[in-house]
Amino acid sequence: MATQMATTDENLRTRVPRASVSAAADQSQPGDKIETHTVGQVTVANPVMMARRVNVFYGDKHAIRDVSIDIARNAVIAFIGPSGCGKSTFLRCLNRMNDTIPIARVTGSITLDGEDIYGTEQDPVQLRARVGMVFQKPNPFPKSIYENIAYGPRIHGLAANRADLDEVVQTSLHKAGLWDEVKDRLDNPGTSLSGGQQQRLCIARAIAVDPEVILMDEPCSALDPIATARIEDLIDELRQGYAIVIVTHNMQQAARVSQRTAYFHLGDLIEVGATDQIFTNPRHKLTEDYITGRFG
Amino acid sequence: MEGHIVRTYDGDILNLRMRVLGMGGLAIDQVQRAVQALVRGDDDGAREIVARSAEVTAYGRTIDDEIVGLIARRQPVASDLRAILTVGRVATDVERIGNAARKIARLALELHRSGEIAPFRQFYNDVRKMSRVALSMVRDALDCLDRVDVEGAAAVARRDADLDAEFHLALRELVTYVMEDPRYLQSTIQTVFLLKALERVGDHARNIAAAVPRLARRDDVAVDPPAVVPAQTASDARAPG
Repeated sequence: MATQMATTDENLRTRVPRASVSAAADQSQPGDKIETHTVGQVTVANPVMMARRVNVFYGDKHAIRDVSIDIARNAVIAFIGPSGCGKSTFLRCLNRMNDTIPIARVTGSITLDGEDIYGTEQDPVQLRARVGMVFQKPNPFPKSIYENIAYGPRIHGLAANRADLDEVVQTSLHKAGLWDEVKDRLDNPGTSLSGGQQQRLCIARAIAVDPEVILMDEPCSALDPIATARIEDLIDELRQGYAIVIVTHNMQQAARVSQRTAYFHLGDLIEVGATDQIFTNPRHKLTEDYITGRFG
Repeated sequence: MEGHIVRTYDGDILNLRMRVLGMGGLAIDQVQRAVQALVRGDDDGAREIVARSAEVTAYGRTIDDEIVGLIARRQPVASDLRAILTVGRVATDVERIGNAARKIARLALELHRSGEIAPFRQFYNDVRKMSRVALSMVRDALDCLDRVDVEGAAAVARRDADLDAEFHLALRELVTYVMEDPRYLQSTIQTVFLLKALERVGDHARNIAAAVPRLARRDDVAVDPPAVVPAQTASDARAPG
């Protein structure tokens, strides 16, 4: 694994126990100055994740440049930008999905509740339970609906017995708004569901292991408008319990589902702000040109 | 407003802008003709203005429909959304200017019919002057809107004070006429309405000018919306000039 972690700011590398982190985080207020070229407010009070000066290289290609941003609890942040701007690459840094790409190298610091997620004792599998992910194409396991949900809790030891597991499966399907549609056919294969249902199954699978953050990479791009609306409704409900980061090409979707929006361009994080502000009064010309459809 | 990847979107926004400017031209023309009909005693001209006043309203309805269509089809955001909504607001002001033309034409007909206009003939000069100031404000405000000229728009808005001053001066004079001969009360009231209509045209021009800094996102240039006619106007008018 060629993934390395380095940082220019040693303080950010210092691992701090959780309790003191939340105390420290409480002191960080919006408006705190951090070194960044991004326009807008990149920090939030009491963030669940903090990325500082993150760079990603694919071999010689500098894919992400010095990106610093906080991910807020119980809120949806949308990453938007033209193709190849690095939004998905950056998203994948947040649960170390880039580890699977041999030529990828990540520098800077990313913390989850104050813990360095690239730290040597950090187990990527454990991390991905805490920072779940939903992909563009629904990818249920070739197993039953029940097993799709039960798999994660079982390998992470989150259920002591069958009754526990049943409960986790039911709760997760409920949260994903899928229970009523599948309760009578839990033994059917996950792949027998419609595209929209499969995507909600994948969301249920992600929340079954009780994550803190859910990453969504274009979760609706393979779905029809009605299935998309159901996922968007679900995202809004899920933010009560999770921090959600969504990458989307659909700017109207970003405007509809998120509270904060981050605009990426050629590997740079150009602007971050409240979604209302980004879509009515963007401060950076590149953001304005992109969201109004002038980019090219 | 140009430069969209989808070029027909540019065309849609351009059409909308051209339409509101065209509507403005029509409203200016109608006010001008209404004032001419008044001072020339041209009842046919005045009747024509009343009959044609629906044209400006129809223009406004078309613009409304186009805005609704644009929002539904293009989902405009940021500067585009602001530009489109601004056109809608400006169209409302232009429609009111068109209404002023109709009001002036109707009052012209009434004044001509009453035959009591003799002492008011000299007011025609005031009316002409006020209409010149008001209409040049409208013309310049629309021009500034077209060019997104924030400073120019602020200058246009400042001219509204001159128009208000003219209005109050004329009011004071009118009062002295009524005091001289109460038989002219009816005509005086009609003349006051007429002058007020022109003063309102200036207010609408100022509204149009006020839209320009918002369009340009310039918070540093404040163009205040027109003030409500101050309460002391009535007492000013009571004191003979």
